[in-house]
Amino acid sequence: MKFPVIVIVALIIVTDLFDTISQLSLKSKINALDLHIDSFKKILHLMLGLLKARRLWVSFFFSTLSLLIWLFVLSKADLNFAYSIDSMRYIFIAFASWLLLRETVSPLRWLGIISIVLGIILVTLS
Amino acid sequence: MKALSGRFNFHLKDCFFRRNCYNKLLYKISLSMSGKKHITLKILLFLITTDLLETVAQFCFKKTALPRSEFEVKSFLDALFFVKEVAFSPYLWAGFLSALAIFIIWCTILSRLDLSVAVPVASFSYITIPVISALFFHESIPPLRWAGISFILTGVMLVSLSSKHKPQTLQ
Repeated sequence: MKFPVIVIVALIIVTDLFDTISQLSLKSKINALDLHIDSFKKILHLMLGLLKARRLWVSFFFSTLSLLIWLFVLSKADLNFAYSIDSMRYIFIAFASWLLLRETVSPLRWLGIISIVLGIILVTLS
Repeated sequence: MKALSGRFNFHLKDCFFRRNCYNKLLYKISLSMSGKKHITLKILLFLITTDLLETVAQFCFKKTALPRSEFEVKSFLDALFFVKEVAFSPYLWAGFLSALAIFIIWCTILSRLDLSVAVPVASFSYITIPVISALFFHESIPPLRWAGISFILTGVMLVSLSSKHKPQTLQ
């Protein structure tokens, strides 16, 4: 069964969005716990705190979903093409963390992110 | 008596040290409140470790699936049988173990960095994988890929620079 390119691109964007949601929920929980990690004991604290959190399971759920769709996409599309579209993820994550986590994304950071996206497209297409 | 005074001194020092620690803690909290956290060498090493472990995990999963590539999943029962087959593969468990390690290290990184810094800098793996495959498997890197690698490297540098905070005083 052959899929049109537009469907594949849409599916890749959906996996990226799910991945962004998963990262955002994880990061927001870690922000809420607000531990300064400088020892292994603190890491253990962080893990225990996370295990109790519902947002961790939301994060797991979305990352599993994202992985499943990604595997499906890989079985249908060219690897190079899929990976180069997948680099849109960085832009989504920067935008979402600016909008929802109130992180300051300076112009320098945007420039860096765009440069990374360009680089990934070049690496995967070559 | 000498020992006692020594201990007393030590105690005083200890108190002073603790207070210092407390001040430092306050300073760190004020930094984290301002939302500006910067990349240190340790965090960068953590990030590179997650990238390497990610490669290991992918390698292990591939090793698990490859000998069973003729396996056809037609029904739900087939899928269950596949799971049973694969569950005894040591590679699968090695893969799971490295995935767990990745999760723990990633959470540690996220507690120290902005999400919009950690994720772009983790794109280092796009560089490490071609370079490792060039070193160990004697694959050649075409010029276009070198250009891509340099773009990624510049991007990672810019993002890391943008995470540097200006020195702040405790209020």
